[in-house]
Order: sequence, then structure tokens, then C-alpha cells
Amino acid sequence: MWNELLGAFVAVATLPNFIVMAAGIWGGVIIGAIPGMTGTMAVTLALPFTFYMPPVTSLLLLVALYKGSTYGGSISAILIKTPGTASAACTVLDGYPLAREGKGGKALNMALVSSCIGDFISNISLIFLAAPLAIFALRVGPPEYFMLMAFSLTIVASISGRSLLLGIVAACLGLLLATVGEDMYGSFRFAMTEDMKSGLGVVPVLIGLFALPEMLKLAIFRPEENTQAMKLGDNRLTMKEFRGSLKTIIRGSFIGVILGAIPGIGPSTAAFFSYSEARRTSKNGDRFGEGELEGIAASESANNGCCGATMIPLLALGVPGDVITGVMLGAFMIHGLTPGPLLFQNNIGEVYSLFIGMLFSSVFLFIAGKLTASGFAKISRIPQQLLLPCIVILCVFGIYSVSSSPFDVAVLLVMGVVGFAMMVLNVPAAPFLIAFILGPMFEDNMRRSLAISRGDLSIFFQSWISWGFFILTILFVALTIRREWQKWRSNVRAAN
Amino acid sequence: MFRHLKKAALGVAALACATAFASAAQADSYPEKAITLVVPYGAGGASDLAGRALAETARNYTNEQPVIVVNKTGNGGMNGARFVTESDPDGYTLLLSRVGMALYPAVYSDSPVAWDDYTFLGILEATPMILAVNAESDIKTIDDLIAKIKESNGATTYAASGPTAIDGFSVQALLSDAGLDPLSASTLVPYKGGGALAAALLGNHVDFLAISAGSLMPHIQAGKMRALMVYAPKRMADLPDVPTAKELGYATAAQVGGWSGLYAPKGLPDDVVAKWKDILGKVATNEQWLDLAKKRGSISVIGDEDPSTYVKSQFDLYHGLAVKFGYIQ
Repeated sequence: MWNELLGAFVAVATLPNFIVMAAGIWGGVIIGAIPGMTGTMAVTLALPFTFYMPPVTSLLLLVALYKGSTYGGSISAILIKTPGTASAACTVLDGYPLAREGKGGKALNMALVSSCIGDFISNISLIFLAAPLAIFALRVGPPEYFMLMAFSLTIVASISGRSLLLGIVAACLGLLLATVGEDMYGSFRFAMTEDMKSGLGVVPVLIGLFALPEMLKLAIFRPEENTQAMKLGDNRLTMKEFRGSLKTIIRGSFIGVILGAIPGIGPSTAAFFSYSEARRTSKNGDRFGEGELEGIAASESANNGCCGATMIPLLALGVPGDVITGVMLGAFMIHGLTPGPLLFQNNIGEVYSLFIGMLFSSVFLFIAGKLTASGFAKISRIPQQLLLPCIVILCVFGIYSVSSSPFDVAVLLVMGVVGFAMMVLNVPAAPFLIAFILGPMFEDNMRRSLAISRGDLSIFFQSWISWGFFILTILFVALTIRREWQKWRSNVRAAN
Repeated sequence: MFRHLKKAALGVAALACATAFASAAQADSYPEKAITLVVPYGAGGASDLAGRALAETARNYTNEQPVIVVNKTGNGGMNGARFVTESDPDGYTLLLSRVGMALYPAVYSDSPVAWDDYTFLGILEATPMILAVNAESDIKTIDDLIAKIKESNGATTYAASGPTAIDGFSVQALLSDAGLDPLSASTLVPYKGGGALAAALLGNHVDFLAISAGSLMPHIQAGKMRALMVYAPKRMADLPDVPTAKELGYATAAQVGGWSGLYAPKGLPDDVVAKWKDILGKVATNEQWLDLAKKRGSISVIGDEDPSTYVKSQFDLYHGLAVKFGYIQ
């Protein structure tokens, strides 16, 4: 093994590999930071170039783009309240308030440090835990997915802000919107036009919900305090702040690893999951959502913690979990490599090279992130009345460039108006989004389970994984009810 | 800043002129710019790999012009198909078509695109399908499977993209041939994409499935799945011991199978059609194309079939099956 490892190290430590990785990460960070352009787009666009590269180099390029874009989403989330990718939606909740307080630099640094640690832990897990995590991932069948999704939906309680009731309303609307389009058996729901038959894209909904309402608010209410440029203020992340969030970062990274290893879950769910966990256990929990560094740490460590782990089902089983690993599977096949158990027998040299390259890429991520973030941080000095229109143009351009579909732009604009109405009525946007993302997985897995059991509900209680998530869900709901009850009681007392 | 804008405006104007000239001079020197090949399914899947392989090989014969693959997914592939049929018939927007382009209109009378709304350029490859079970399963042969389905009274499960997708029809055709009710003898569990389908069987969440060979071969070779039957005209070279549907006497199932074709919008000029016939003729013998096809587990059939006759026969086949299975009256 050591001989092969050394051989792989020599094979991967070449100048072209390093250049490709650095370029991939940097390009990924920038694409991730532009609202509307996503890692999926970056990876898909890069695929044709990889045909001319050696297999390991081409895979390193795709992985680098994926990692870079997952981090890059946090830059725009913090600075302009527009998550560059869906997985950074949770970063907005604390990142943007921090930026408004003049602590944008601090928030960016926290996001970068958490992302790099999450990334590194994910890579290490991929190398050492691939086999057991792959076996675990296979055991997660439709009933287990359903219970996991049910538990994930309780996250709504953590991200609803001041009113749980409005949060639940938002989540219900999100679930409803997620039903638009073709269902799993091929019948259509709310498909009023030909375009609606394939459902609404996550990216236009996300950007419309987060970016456009700010712009409308500025245009309609003309608030005085909003027109000022933000000050960058103190930039440095102190050792004390880092140590305070370290536990959250480590936990977030492992949440990312475990959820990332299960095909289909993805970094957005992991980020929301980790945020909810951190809020529940942190002593600063009450400050979450108002500008708490730990919130950024939770979200960013988990979404990058997914990156390496999504490769686990791909490499160990030959099963891609999402579009990005689907493209990577294509890249493997083009080079005549077949992911799956046989890969570790027939092409162990390439596998080790890939692993070592990925370890290096965490370092590149830190350097590229540092350079890019300090450049982008200057954005926050632009006055809002100039900045917001530019963001809107960028969003429309970004969305159109990915799909070249006017329908997606229409979805973006309509969701902008919906988001503005929600903002005026104090309905939080985050629960809406998470429900919209989780909705299809929640519904499909429930229907799949019931198809398998032919309508018998006991299928949901047949494995310890389902039982585990069921008990967690019940516990979490009970805790939330108790907290709300106490809040109500103290309000009543205060009123008397 | 304004100087840059002016430059950009000039550039745009120049580009517009160039395009105008290009369309005038198109007749003799097609292609003069990049060709877009629309793949109507997701990146990384069997159709995507076929599209990218074609793009890679064809670029050697297109006057140095690249062929760019774009994935336009959704609505069972009809989104991409509709995009292409609504494009200009100038030869710069083409469709990597799949069996779905004939199957969807055969099942849905309100299909956004009819089966013959295209100019057919060629049929590229046949992609065999495999009926497989988990390697741990006690089902060893196709007879075991049929016996188990009969005995379970509908409780066996199979994974497919949907009831009226090709991988749903593959199982339903088999059930129908075995004298069982195609819709209720076994329970369909829908999954999205070849990866998720394979994972469902690997994790023992369903009993069997019959999907494209490309998604299953790695798992069969790794000993995680057992192939019971192939949907192909003859046995596959990699699976010499696995019988075909035809050998086993399943006549309807023997006709079911996947394929890829190359389509263009209706009304494509004759010289462009001729040019593509010529390009495909060269692709047919290209080493890279044949090699990539073999890796995907498919068989290159360029030039073997007259495209419009073949597509018509496929449409009729699936229309007949849809009636037989009771999806339409």
C-alpha cells in the first residue's frame, strides 16, 4: 500500500495538476459567488475540456470546481444577501446581519475557515471511511429517507426567526410550490403551461426569494439607513471567536460527511441541518439569525463537508448521488474507468492519486478563497442604491445564461414579488426555501415506501435507522412545543 | 468605460453582419459555426454519454467546427425535443434523440412534439437492456422470478423511471408475455435516473429491474447483481451465458430496447441532410466512436436502419403496447 501511495504521490504532484486544481478552485469560487451560476453549471461546462486531459487531472478539475463553487456561494450570501448557491442559503441568515454591522470581513473569514476545515474532514473521511459509509448509504431505503426528511423539516423551527407560526406557514407554502410539475408516476400538477410541466428550478426560486425583495424594498420604501454603504470594519477573526465555534465546525463537518454520503441529500440540506443543530446546542443559540458567527460556521462547514463525501457512493458503489457526481461518472467512463468496487481493484493507482490531489485542494481552497474574498469584500463599500440594481441585472443574466430559458427568468421575477410580500408580512423566507428543496424528496420517498408496502404504514418502523430519526423528530417537536409554551407564558406574565 | 462600451457595440455589430453573411453563404459550406447538440436528459446518463461521444467524433468531420452538447432536461425528454423542433432548421441545432421521442407520443395523445415532427438524420446505436436481481437474491433464473411474481400476488417490486418509461415497459412486456397482468402483477416503484435505479436494487429496496445495460454492467461485473435476461437481438459479448428475451420465447419483450438517434428540426435543407449522412458515414467506422460505444455497453448501428421507417415502427410498437397494457383505449 505504501509503495502505491508513494507512487500516486509522485504521479499527482505535477505542475499541470496543480495548475488545473488552482484554476478549478478559483474559477469555482468566482462562479459560486455569482448569483444564479452554480457548481453544477461549472462542472457541466468543464466536462468537454476533460476529454483531452489525463483521467486524474480531469477528475481533479471537476472536484476543484465543485468545492470552489460550494464555498463561493457564501461570499455573495454574506455581502449582498444573495446566496450564490442553494447550499449557502443558511449563511445569509447570520452573514448578512454581520455585514450590515460592519463585520463583513470577519464573517467572510469565518466562512472560509469553516469551509476549509469541513472540506479537509470530508476528504479524510472519503479516504478512510468510504467503505462503511457506502454500506450505510445503501441501507438507507425509501422509508429511512422519508424519516430523515421528516426530521429535516423540523429544522423549520430553528430558522423561523421570531414567529414559529409564520415559519410553518412559509414551510407549507414551500411544500406546495414543490409539487408543481410532473410527479413520480408521470401525472402533472399545477402545470398551467408547457414549461411548468418540468417544475420550478431551485436556483430561480432561491435567488428570487432572497435577492429581489431587498431591491423592491429600496425602491418602494426608500429607507434612509439602507442607502449608506457598509463599512468593512474589523476584519480579523480572533482566536477566541474561532475556538468558540470550533465544536460547531467539527460537528457541522461530520453532519456534512454523513448526509453527503447518502445519495440525493446534498449540501443544502446538510447546511440547514447543521445550522439547526448548532442553534439547538450552542449557548449563543438565541442570537442565531441576528448576526452570530457560529451560525456561519455551522452552515459553511456542513456544505463543504459534503463535497468529498458525495464522492463516496460514486467511487465505492458506482452510484452518482446528484447531477455533479453524475457528470463525474461520465468523466470516469470517458476515460475507461468504471467507478464501483472494481475501481479499487483495477485502478488503485488512479484512486490514490485522486485522494492525494483532493487533500491538496483543501489548501488551494484556502488560498483562492482568501484572495477572492478580500477582492469581493470591496463590494460592500458600494452604496446600496447602486449595488442592488447591479445585483438584479447579474441575477437575471446568471439565471438566463445557465438555462437560456425565459421561463426561469419569469420564475425569478415572480418569486421576487412573492418574496417581497413575505418580507412585508414578516414571513421568513428560509423555511419556505428548505421546504421547497426537501419537498420532492419527502413526497417521493413516502409514496415509494407505501408502494413497496402496498399501503401498510408499518414499513416506516422496520429498521433502526427509521426508528432513530422518528424518535429524534418526536423529541425535537416536543422541545419546540415546550419552548413556545414557555415563551407564551412569559409573554402573558409580562402583559399582566 | 465608454470607450469599452463603444468597442463592445462595434463587436456586436460586426458579429451581426457576420451572421447575416453566414446564413447567405450557408448552402455550400455548412457548417460555418459551432453546432449545438441538445441532449434531452441529464448530464452523465446513458443519453448524455452517447451525445458527448457523437460530439467528440463528429467534430473531426465538421470543418473544424465544434459540436457543443447542451442538456435540456424535463418532462420525460420532451422539453429538449420541443426546444429543437422550435429552433430554426439551419442545421446548427440538433437533437440526440432516444427511444423516448417515439415512446412518449405513442402513449400521450397531448404530447408537445409528435413522433415525426423532425428531420431524421440517422439511428446511431442500440442500447441493450438487462433484467437483473440483487446477487444475494434467491432468484436464480427468469423462471424463478416469474414463479415468485405469481406466488406473491402483486407484492414483488421493481424499480423503473415511471410506468410509461422504457424501463417500465421492459418489465410490463415481460409480465404480459408470461400471461400476467402487466400493471398489477408486480408493483412499480419509481426512481429518477440510472444511478438511483441501480442503487435501489443494490440496497435490496426492490426485487428486480430491467434497465439499460450501461447502468448495470459495472455492478454485474463486480458481482453485486445477477443478470437474468437481456433485451437485445443477440447475446451480449460481456454476458455470454445470459439468454435473450427472444431465446426464452418472450416475444413482446424481445422487441423492447433502447436506442439513440440524431434528429433535426423539420424542414432541414437537403444539402445539410446530405452533409450529415456523409458525416455519420465517417463516424460509423471511427475507432473512437466504436470504442466509446463499447465502453457504454451499446452497439453502433449507424447506417443499418432507414431512420424514418425505424422510428415509425418503434412508434407503432409502443403505441400497440400502450393499448395492450391499458394506458390508452
